Amino acid sequence: MPAKKYAIPEGLLYDSNDFWIKVNGEEAVIGMTDFGQSNTGDILYLELSPGGETFQQGERFGSIESGKWVGNLTAPLSGVVLDTNREVEGNPRKVNADAYGEGWMFRIKLSNPEELRSLMASQEYAQWVDEQIKCEMEKG
Amino acid sequence: MNKNWRLLDTGSLPAAHNMALDKVILNARSSNLVPNTVRYLQFSPHCVLVGYHQSVQLEVEEKYCREHGIEINRRITGGGNLYWDESQLGWELYAPKNTPGIPRKLDDMYRLMCESVVAGLDRLGVKAKFRPTNDIEVGGRKISGTGGTEIGDTFLYQGTLLTDFDVDTMISALKLPIKKLEDKQVDSFKQRVICLKEVLGYLPPMEEIKAALAAGISEVLGITLEPGGLTEVEQIAFEQELPRFQSEDWIKGLRVVPQANDLRVAEHKTRGGLIRVSLRLDRNRQCIKSAFITGDFFAYPERSIMDLEAILKNSSSRPADILNTVRQFFIDHEVNIPGVEADDFYHALYLAIDKAGDNNDYACL
Repeated sequence: MPAKKYAIPEGLLYDSNDFWIKVNGEEAVIGMTDFGQSNTGDILYLELSPGGETFQQGERFGSIESGKWVGNLTAPLSGVVLDTNREVEGNPRKVNADAYGEGWMFRIKLSNPEELRSLMASQEYAQWVDEQIKCEMEKG
Repeated sequence: MNKNWRLLDTGSLPAAHNMALDKVILNARSSNLVPNTVRYLQFSPHCVLVGYHQSVQLEVEEKYCREHGIEINRRITGGGNLYWDESQLGWELYAPKNTPGIPRKLDDMYRLMCESVVAGLDRLGVKAKFRPTNDIEVGGRKISGTGGTEIGDTFLYQGTLLTDFDVDTMISALKLPIKKLEDKQVDSFKQRVICLKEVLGYLPPMEEIKAALAAGISEVLGITLEPGGLTEVEQIAFEQELPRFQSEDWIKGLRVVPQANDLRVAEHKTRGGLIRVSLRLDRNRQCIKSAFITGDFFAYPERSIMDLEAILKNSSSRPADILNTVRQFFIDHEVNIPGVEADDFYHALYLAIDKAGDNNDYACL
């Protein structure tokens, strides 16, 4: 399983935009997965929505830049931002170095907990990562 | 797949107009309202553009720009600060990320896109090549820099092409790693870039350059380009978006994240000669934003130092990472500099990073 080379901790939820989500009651902490940061490469800039902002699942809630490419961060769940990791905004390489620890991005209050059902458990995400890797290899 | 792409020539436009069009066309393509598109990009008046996440205050000599009628604006794409004079030609590609033949992996995509422009330059008699991560060079000197962004599943990838370039104005308008250096170093800095006129000894007519680029892009991507104009939907969206791209909020950036572009200069004496290092550094991000290295040593191959500068751009400024980067570079490029070791360059870089800079950082804004 190629996904084995990436850390995919149990007890977290995952989405197909390579975010991990740690749920704690009505709150959740969100960050980028090891597979996500590895694909992105050295992260030069991160812009994260500030506390108090609300967003729906699938909406843009920040931006990321690596290798002169600007990508959007897409919210895995609907909610309101309780806290943004300003440390990681100032030094985004923390996402590369410690994706599940110091590299966390947001703490949010969930506005629609039903959406948690749309996320993947660790094993399911590992399979999804495997499929992505195989797809890339087939494309050459 | 429809292999017919639109070829859009919007002519020379002010900076805000061009930046608004980037957003409008990308949105329209993302919503499947327009076909895949190649656009030529030209500016009038001349301008300075910062990358999407950059700070104008830290990257641009605003007073000089105001005094010389140079517009300032912000791109929606990534990368560094740029000066565009009216003679330059930009190129842009808009397409879905899953377009057959276009790699999803960014590094592979950069290579393909740049090679399509290299094929165009070849038709003009210019032997250029792709230089990772995403530049095009002629004999080690940069002739085109590129960057990109995406909305949904659609990307915009754009690049510059230096045709007949005013390097002196660029040096005055941008905060580059050379401000404190002497004329000799400024001359050396000019050798880092090259334009079509210098390569060919003359400047071909713009229409000839555009035709060559279009032919190269068509050939490498296997597409047919059909000249077209903006659609009505794009025109309406453009009118709506333009005020935002003309606003100070957009140009200065409403939410520029903490960053620095601090100038650091150091010298290190070796058996083979003096190494002078000049850096633009973002210490908190642990990032060398750009590097300029000169000295009185002799490097083989001659282009080694320019290649080393390219590798150091946006690389980690942590000492252990610098040491690895420099040592690996010397091995990979079989660099030979009599009397100078890889570790001497590491030492010079380390000295520069450790020196006091000019405090050109977020805290001073």
